Amino acid sequence: MAKYLGIDRICNFWRTIKASGGILNSLRLTFRVDELRDGTLVGVDKYGNKYYENNEYIFSRNRWVIYSEKVNLDYDGSQVPAEWYGWLHYKTDLIPTKDPSRPKHKWIADHKPNLSGTNEAYIPYTTTKPKIIPWKPPQ
Amino acid sequence: MALRVSSLFNQSNNFTRFRLTRFFADSGKNIKDSDQVSTDAVLPKKLTVALVPEEVHIAQKTRQETLAVVRENEDVGTCSGVPEEHIKTRTVRIYCPAKNAMQSGTNNINYWQIDFDTRERWENPLIGWTSTGDPLSNLQVGFVSKEEAIAHCNKMGWKYYIQKPNVNNPKPRSYGINFSWNKRTRVSTK
Amino acid sequence: MLRLPVIKLTAGLQNGRISVARLHTTSSKLQQELVEVFIDDKPVQVPPGTTVLQAAAKVGVEIPRFCYHERLAVAGNCRMCLVEIEKQIKPVAACAMPVMKGWRVKTNSDLTRKAREGVMEFLLVNHPLDCPICDQGGECDLQDQSMAFGSDRSRFVDINYTGKRAVEDKDIGPLIKTIMTRCIHCTRCIRFASEVAGIDDLGTTGRGNDMQVGTYVEKMFLSELSGNIIDLCPVGALTSKPYAFVARPWETRRTDSIDVLDAVGSNIVISHRTNEVLRILPRVNEEINEEWLSDKARFSCDGLKRQRLITPMIKINGNLEAVEWEDALVATARAIQNIAPNKCAGIAGKLVDAEALVALKDLVNRLGGEILATEQSFPKEGAGIDLRSNYLLNNTIAAVEEADVVLLIGTNPRYEAPLVNTRLRKGYIHGEQTIGLIGPNVDLTYDYEHLGQSADIVTQLRNGTHPFSNTLKSAKKPLIILGVDQLMRKDGAKILSETQLLAQTLGENTKAPEEWKVLNILHTRASQVAALDVGYSSTIEEVKEQQPKVLFLLGADDANIKREDFPNTCIIYIGSHGDEGASIADVILPGAAYTEKVATYVNTEGRSQQTCAAITPPGMARPDWKIIRALSEICGVRLPYDNLAEVRSRLEEIAPHLVRYGAVESANYFAQALELSKQVPGSLSSDPLEVKQETLDQFFMTDAISRASQTMAKCVQAVIKQRESNL
Repeated sequence: MAKYLGIDRICNFWRTIKASGGILNSLRLTFRVDELRDGTLVGVDKYGNKYYENNEYIFSRNRWVIYSEKVNLDYDGSQVPAEWYGWLHYKTDLIPTKDPSRPKHKWIADHKPNLSGTNEAYIPYTTTKPKIIPWKPPQ
Repeated sequence: MALRVSSLFNQSNNFTRFRLTRFFADSGKNIKDSDQVSTDAVLPKKLTVALVPEEVHIAQKTRQETLAVVRENEDVGTCSGVPEEHIKTRTVRIYCPAKNAMQSGTNNINYWQIDFDTRERWENPLIGWTSTGDPLSNLQVGFVSKEEAIAHCNKMGWKYYIQKPNVNNPKPRSYGINFSWNKRTRVSTK
Repeated sequence: MLRLPVIKLTAGLQNGRISVARLHTTSSKLQQELVEVFIDDKPVQVPPGTTVLQAAAKVGVEIPRFCYHERLAVAGNCRMCLVEIEKQIKPVAACAMPVMKGWRVKTNSDLTRKAREGVMEFLLVNHPLDCPICDQGGECDLQDQSMAFGSDRSRFVDINYTGKRAVEDKDIGPLIKTIMTRCIHCTRCIRFASEVAGIDDLGTTGRGNDMQVGTYVEKMFLSELSGNIIDLCPVGALTSKPYAFVARPWETRRTDSIDVLDAVGSNIVISHRTNEVLRILPRVNEEINEEWLSDKARFSCDGLKRQRLITPMIKINGNLEAVEWEDALVATARAIQNIAPNKCAGIAGKLVDAEALVALKDLVNRLGGEILATEQSFPKEGAGIDLRSNYLLNNTIAAVEEADVVLLIGTNPRYEAPLVNTRLRKGYIHGEQTIGLIGPNVDLTYDYEHLGQSADIVTQLRNGTHPFSNTLKSAKKPLIILGVDQLMRKDGAKILSETQLLAQTLGENTKAPEEWKVLNILHTRASQVAALDVGYSSTIEEVKEQQPKVLFLLGADDANIKREDFPNTCIIYIGSHGDEGASIADVILPGAAYTEKVATYVNTEGRSQQTCAAITPPGMARPDWKIIRALSEICGVRLPYDNLAEVRSRLEEIAPHLVRYGAVESANYFAQALELSKQVPGSLSSDPLEVKQETLDQFFMTDAISRASQTMAKCVQAVIKQRESNL
């Protein structure tokens, strides 16, 4: 009955707001990520990105990430580290802590997001031998 | 002038002739000869001038006076599309290409060629290839004779200098001097 | 360009041929006895004794050949030049057979073509399939002639059993790469080594299929002209080691230029691609270098890439630091402004062009200085540099081979000017020259009479007290060549004066023709003659005495000056390489090397020639005269020329011969020079006459570019190693 009158939608709405931590928080979240969804917090990575899942939503919209507060509005898809990438993109259903097949080596480098547009962006440089060898003055 | 005027208006001449002869006939001179009168002999100059309309007269005069002048030195360079900078500042070297020192064939050196002065070439930062800003860097035109090359440079407006061709002047060779008994040309390596 | 041969053919071969092989007729008597021959039904009159090949070349028909070379003896062993002559049973080797009257030569008949195809087939049977990896590909005589004259198929089927011949490579030095499997035994290298270079080391060992060309014992080919066998070899058996696998000939651009590493001014072709010089080849110039090129000129081009000055530098806190052009020029101008007159001097180096010399002289003169020195001081007493005959090779290089007695005073032409030495050797072999040398006993590749080492032998020769003076007096075309290094001695002016007196005596007594000039000075530096023409008359001692406030070093690396000689001077170095001069400088303004600028150089005969820019100066370097012009503008004494044409008109103002390229102005006023030289005081010192380059290892690294070259360093090491071995 509630379905026919649309009251369940209002209940969903209020539930989402409550799950997001109140009206003010919901407004902040909406301003930041342009949508409000409620889901179970599946895990947090070391950068502070929070991963949520709600299988009532349609497939491909049931897993999402809320990027850490450190980046504020400069969130970028490349900030998702490798271990959570697979889960987020539906390559696997196991989260990193639950998956035994994830590689753990001491040489695995820290994840770097896409650095284009920043100071550390890669600018190609020549690796060929210079054609002219200049004279070095005596010291 | 009188002759030309009369010949130009030949078609209407009959009409005018009649009128003129009537005119002269009326004046009482040579009434008998009026039929044989030809327009050239009898017509006074002033009358012929007055017969031709002013504008035609002026047009003819100007046509004769203004002749078309064709310059001896054509200046093709300015309208050839070559930028002015590459006509005024470039120097052309006219030369016979040198024989390749590694080969002994001379079939490909008997013509004259045009070459331009070298402009800056630098290493392109993208891949490291060599770039140049000189559109004439690869232009090497061949000519059959030196005069043709010079004429072309004059036409295009380029400054040029001519490099003396290296003329090969071989001395006569003889096989027998390899075996001379008293000369130093005796070959020690056979 | 590909359409041109059609135009040329329609215009007629005789008209289209620009470089017609004109035969050198020796006397007018022979002209009347010209023999008529028919080459492909074209009649031609040739002096008797001409070979069929030369007669055909006169008509314009080029007969293919491998072993024949017009400057070497006739060998006739390749058999590629076989042509059919009517009524002769066998085809005749055109390179060796002298023509007979009335012969009808058919250079394109069936028999001729069959002969050529046969020869080509045999050559290719044992030739390895190396074209893709052979350096000579694209400029290979074998490739071109097999396409033009060879047959399209081979009958060689034995590849799996007997197979093709293979020969070991020989090691003849760091310059020449030998892959002797490719050798077709034309013996051009052997004949060159024996006749032109004078080193009889190359020869053939074995016969028939087992014949090998080489030195038999592993010996380095110790000649200063060794690079020319790379040009001579028609196949890729002898190739250039520094140039191995670098480029193919069709991807290189060729620029004609002049070599400045010695004073001969040999004509070269610079092969370059993508703004780097790949190799240097000789260009034919009958009057200077014929077709040869010395090793230093040929292989020093890798020195153009090392030790280069590419940014202006200023000495800040005792160290030279790279700065922008503006800063360097402003700093120089600050040093130059308000100096007293006659406190400005310049020293010109070895490789400087006439435009830069003139610009520097104008600048220094406008700043009030008069002292402009060359590193090699020329004596001021006597005529000094005022009369050109005092300092030129007056008789021209080509006429050296026509002399019949040559007297060399204090010079080793073998290493100072190798291409003059080839002329002397040519005269020695073909012209039966007698050569006498006053100086150290060096190996000149030909026999000569060693007259001694002291300078007063010249006086003795003049007085007739020396046994050699009889030979000199009875000579019809005597020649004296004085090395310019001897004029740097304290008694240099006296030596010059004595030589002039001797030349005068010889000129009077002998019946030499009017244009024959007995006195010649052989220079060793490319910029010396131009500097003397422009007016650089001072010496380094005078510069040291003057202690200028500002000293310009224009490429001066061999001046033997130290920083301590000029404690309070601002030394400004304008040059292309960082060598001695740059290390003592306070300001460095980078200039261009000879391959990078359009410049005028005068060779030792006084012939003015111009180089062409093949590549552009690296980094921030600029042509030298432009630097001096910019400096003058900032200093306030602006020079009146803005572009090359104006500089050249200034050159013409000073000395018109400097812009008449390719021609030799014959020097005159010998009598006046002699009169002036008679007043030279002093006497000849008893020091023996020494030359700077006595052995081959001293030949290779003599100036900034060759000292920067790694190839030259390898050559020096190899020569020393060869000398220590007992072969």
